[in-house]
Amino acid sequence: MAQEAAAVIPARLAPRVDEHELIRAVQRGDQNAFEALVRSYDQNVLGMAFNLLRCEEDARDVYQEAFLRVYRHIHSFRFDCSFHTWLYRIVTNLCLDCLRKRKIRKEEPAVVETAEGPLDRTYSVEEERAAADPERNLCNAQLAGRIHLALAALTPRERTVFELRHYQGLRLKAIGEMLNTSEEAAKNCLFRATQKMRTVLGDFS
Amino acid sequence: MNCTEVLDALALYLYGELPPRAEEEVEAHLHGCPACRDALDAQQRLHHAFDRARAVPRPDLVAECRGELFRRTAARPGWRQRLARAWDLTRVRWVLRPAGALALVAVGFLSARLPLRDSGLLRAPAEPPVATVRWVEPDPSGGVRIALDETRRRVIRGSLEDRLIEKLLLEAARDQANAGLRVESIDLLKDRSGNDDVRQALLQAATHDRNPGVRLKALEGLKGMASHPEVRAALPGILERDDNENVRILAIDMLVQNRDEQIVGLLQGLVGQEENSYVRMRVRSVLEEMKASVGTF
Ligand SMILES: [Zn+2]
Repeated sequence: MAQEAAAVIPARLAPRVDEHELIRAVQRGDQNAFEALVRSYDQNVLGMAFNLLRCEEDARDVYQEAFLRVYRHIHSFRFDCSFHTWLYRIVTNLCLDCLRKRKIRKEEPAVVETAEGPLDRTYSVEEERAAADPERNLCNAQLAGRIHLALAALTPRERTVFELRHYQGLRLKAIGEMLNTSEEAAKNCLFRATQKMRTVLGDFS
Repeated sequence: MNCTEVLDALALYLYGELPPRAEEEVEAHLHGCPACRDALDAQQRLHHAFDRARAVPRPDLVAECRGELFRRTAARPGWRQRLARAWDLTRVRWVLRPAGALALVAVGFLSARLPLRDSGLLRAPAEPPVATVRWVEPDPSGGVRIALDETRRRVIRGSLEDRLIEKLLLEAARDQANAGLRVESIDLLKDRSGNDDVRQALLQAATHDRNPGVRLKALEGLKGMASHPEVRAALPGILERDDNENVRILAIDMLVQNRDEQIVGLLQGLVGQEENSYVRMRVRSVLEEMKASVGTF
């Protein structure tokens, strides 16, 4: 038993397999390599899709479609950009599509009707952490509701740029490339987004 | 820069996305303008509020998504990989699985990985999946995460002429964990012993399977090919080593279908060493029919 455990632990602590090698293995059709590659990115992908779309079902769909596209098209990946960039381009565009469709259908899932209304489980871990101080509970809940409304006021493009810049920490240059546009256009988009949210959030201080 | 320009620039300033020159101008203005510094504080608090309002998926969602994804990708990889992997995994499974531990038949196992959709076979509704644990690890939240490989059993229908059906049956005929499955598969294959792959599988089963029912069924399947050199070559070994008299009797019947001089010596030897009286009687009567002396060595 002890020997088995010892054999397992170093394998888990071992440095990550070189990503190029991993991707080459996936290209050769190695299912285990594919699963390892997914594991190293999927938590972030799901986190981004969920924060951006604020709907579990849509986030699930984006997750599935994004990695299925990776699976189907990995053989055409030529290492001329990083895998991260390639994957996030796919994810970003899927999210953008989802937001656009939703806009057309005038759907807004998980809408918080009033700032004081009960929050659904969309606001989970981070909110709970922030709400550890009971005196700030109501304030935080209200604020989260208002921020949700402010985010919902953005166009799909503005919302996506804001997500990538604020939550994913990508530079505007990279965001421009991801959305097939210029850095300047991404910058204008982010500017409009922050202006709009300042208007919606009003006297926030 | 005046106050209005600075207020407009604050958002990009906080993200570090202003050109160097504009950044310098904003900082110079902030230094001398308490009102704009207040606005900057407010903007910073807003950023923190955005951070706190981040929507986080429930902890088990990623595992559910993975499960679904891996099930979908494992179920339909490229055609060549699919076949290669199916055989490899089946072999691994033989080694790893204690006999009878999991009633997962080879047909059910393989059907999840073979391109049934492309083969024109009819598919019936899937049964609930059978799960195998692939890995376990502690979860940051204090729980445990377990990765399951789920195999969905499916019933497929098709003609015995279908190459895929035949492959599945051949694989099932070698499923070491399930003798019943081997018998059924060999029974279905036994009329196709003219096919090289099928004949090899039947010979393998007739000479090496540890279950006498399977050996007998396989030998029956070879009856029509009794004069084939490979089959004939295998019969003496069966007669000498097989501990089941029904198998030996059948082997004798097949041997004497082609009565040549070579078998006489073999049969005469058998009379001396065969412990089962019925088999001895059978051997004697064949030798008499061949007008050979029972006692001649
Ligand atoms: Zn000022």
